[in-house]
Amino acid sequence: MRRYWRSLRRFWGTAFATQLEYQANVVIELVAVALSLSGSLLLLSLFFGPGRALGGWTWHQALVVQGFYTVFDGMATTWLRPNLGSIVTHVREGTLDFVLLKPIDSQFWLSLRTLAPAGLPEMVLGMGLAAWGAHQSGVVLTAAMAITVVAMLMVAALILYSLWFLIAATSIWFVKTWNATEVLRALLASGRYPLEAYPAPLRVLFTLVLPVAFLTTVPAEVVLGKASTPLLATGVGLAAVFFTAARSFWIFALRHYTSASS
Amino acid sequence: MVITAEGLSKTYRVADKQPGFVGTLQHFLRRRTRDVSAVQDVSFAIAPGEMVGFLGANGAGKTTTLKMLCGLIHPSAGRVSVAGHQPQRRHPDFLRRITLVMGQKQQLLWDLPPLDSLRVNAAVYGIPDGVASRRIRELADLLELGAELTRPVRKLSLGQRMKAELLAALLHEPQVLFLDEPTLGLDVNAQSRVRQFLADYNRRTGATVLLTSHYMADITALCPRVLLIHQGQLFHDGPLNRLVSRLAPERLVRLELEQPVPAEAFAGLGQLDSLETCAVNLRVAPDQLTTVVAQLLDRFDVRDLEISDPPVDQLIGALFHQGRL
Amino acid sequence: MRVFGLNGRIIRALLGSQYATMLEYRAEIALWALSGLLPFIMLSLWSGSAARADLGLDGAALDRYFLSAFLVRQFSVVWVVYAFEEDALLGRLSPYLLQPLHPLWRYVAAHLGEQLTRLPFAVAIAAAFFVIQPQAFWIPSIGDVLLAWAATWMAFAIAFLLQSLIAALCFWSEKASALERLLFIPFLFLSGLLAPLTAFPPATRHAVQWTPFPYLIDFPARLLAGESVNLAAGFGAQLAWVLLLLPVVLWLWRAGVRRYSAMGA
Repeated sequence: MRRYWRSLRRFWGTAFATQLEYQANVVIELVAVALSLSGSLLLLSLFFGPGRALGGWTWHQALVVQGFYTVFDGMATTWLRPNLGSIVTHVREGTLDFVLLKPIDSQFWLSLRTLAPAGLPEMVLGMGLAAWGAHQSGVVLTAAMAITVVAMLMVAALILYSLWFLIAATSIWFVKTWNATEVLRALLASGRYPLEAYPAPLRVLFTLVLPVAFLTTVPAEVVLGKASTPLLATGVGLAAVFFTAARSFWIFALRHYTSASS
Repeated sequence: MVITAEGLSKTYRVADKQPGFVGTLQHFLRRRTRDVSAVQDVSFAIAPGEMVGFLGANGAGKTTTLKMLCGLIHPSAGRVSVAGHQPQRRHPDFLRRITLVMGQKQQLLWDLPPLDSLRVNAAVYGIPDGVASRRIRELADLLELGAELTRPVRKLSLGQRMKAELLAALLHEPQVLFLDEPTLGLDVNAQSRVRQFLADYNRRTGATVLLTSHYMADITALCPRVLLIHQGQLFHDGPLNRLVSRLAPERLVRLELEQPVPAEAFAGLGQLDSLETCAVNLRVAPDQLTTVVAQLLDRFDVRDLEISDPPVDQLIGALFHQGRL
Repeated sequence: MRVFGLNGRIIRALLGSQYATMLEYRAEIALWALSGLLPFIMLSLWSGSAARADLGLDGAALDRYFLSAFLVRQFSVVWVVYAFEEDALLGRLSPYLLQPLHPLWRYVAAHLGEQLTRLPFAVAIAAAFFVIQPQAFWIPSIGDVLLAWAATWMAFAIAFLLQSLIAALCFWSEKASALERLLFIPFLFLSGLLAPLTAFPPATRHAVQWTPFPYLIDFPARLLAGESVNLAAGFGAQLAWVLLLLPVVLWLWRAGVRRYSAMGA
């Protein structure tokens, strides 16, 4: 276990060192984050007007959803895209062999090898936006709520990671379809808005098949005191199911890789 | 024995698809596959400390065998044991005892100095920092690496990069080294330095080395023993010169004469390869060599005579090229 | 005879080879087509929202607008920056620069080949949309289709020139492609892909008209959906942007190539 911790510290140390090689990108990233957030807020504001709500959510409540979406978008930039996006590169260039020959779990290596600090400001901004929206909606923070929110955000992160990893792992078979995660990213954009704003069939889709709802709407409901215990339990259950699926799928994919690659 | 392979085989199931849209559609509707056997019934054993050259044309099954030995490919049949483990289980203890270097692929981080990648490897292999620094110093000395270790990998020459790759691959002091084309693309100087290093390393640590290369010079310089795989089967296991006599049983006899002689004069004296005024090349079977040479000296006015093996490079090259055996 | 360095034979050869290449990547292109589903998600939001009344698109008109926006986007996607960056990285650029043909033509042909490969997938997605939303089905008049087709081509030209501008900057800095993000974000929000421009407050809408973005999606999509639009203003603005960007791009490319060869790369 200590070896994993030490490896992790080294992984991220080198990741930050790599980023420092390209300082100009930091400026571009910051501008991009500012632009992106203003664009999202502009778009969201179009749905609201005097006395208007979106799927029963007020402007400030919807800001909480938008804030959590921003957090996960930043998390994807910082963590998921740089790591899971490189799986297909490893497969295409044959360097997956190096990973498999390291005396460390290959999923651990592939999932946590690097970090791109570019998404961190976005995560901070998103948290700020969610907090402001909650404050304006008259929410008073309690310890119990804070713990539940953090727990649900971790459940959401686990779901998102597992889903992304599942799709990225298919590149073991389909080297040419590295865009599969782009489809996921496009569909995840639906998490910018409260689940209730969508028609019923999409709501089912976004809850059970592609659990976008658990990324943003459910944590926002916890903040706003709307969440029901069965829903939270479903979230935890789904996270467990998706993570187990991702793990077993990886083991299966590796067996295929090692028995079929040339 | 540190490596044993018994009846090792690997069959791939490949899809048969005609090119073009119609082919794709047919393939989709009625999937036809056939089995291609990449490696068939290969057996050998390698003792600790041996340096063994692994030869074979592209597609002969060389890489497949190498990957089965390091556990990246599951064998379809047969048994393998490397350093007391079954490679395909990829047990951490096994992985700490082996290493794989691939000449055309790299594990070092492109944007950072090699030292950063080395520190990552030290953590992953669980090597304490003090031990790692000492090993890095020793290996860097052997490899003649210095300031290169603190310069970004992308700014290193191919030769420097390969040496840094070797350092990264050897940091955990593996007992078994699998080297796949370690000198690919390097210039002659860099090649000979890598070769020198591998020989030194083998002598110092007693590590076992299995090496593939397209450069015969690598094999002749490093490997007393050679495995040749051809069309998935082990064709030769033994010293290189025995392989040469098997591939080309004749010896080359080069003559220089005082005055020109017609071609007919060499009837019964081996096979005439070329005749240019006074320079003659003959191929002669080993058992007739002494009689032929005696007759040559007897019959002609010989200024110079030289007996040699056909060049290894040419033999193997021709073998790979024509696929004949 | 050659026009802009092109003749019939070159065009046929370029398009043929690029189409064949793109066919090899059809699975990937199908996924790209799928990743363009965002307009439909936005449609489902707008349909159920109270703000819908402000859009000026009643009933099936909204469905048609977003379907058209999806189609226009499918045939005006541009990825020159990425292709260029990869070519530069892998050293394929130098041989291209030696050929008596502007390298940008090669990328134009690649995009056209990709669009042709994408066509069946886009049609399939449109068909699926009509199955789910049968009330939205319509057959646009042949005049509308031709006008929308022309407008989509112009939109493609503007997008292509904008990205070529950034690609040319890669001659100076290898990470210039990061700038593409800065172009994509305003495009995403201001082009009409996520919300018809009529949804914006009048001041915003007015300001946006002076950017190239509305002419990339909103204008061609409205034409295809059969909405009434100011043809002269729309095509005029598209033409103006092309005429403005083209000399800048060509000049920047020439300067970039000169710099590239001076560096001896």
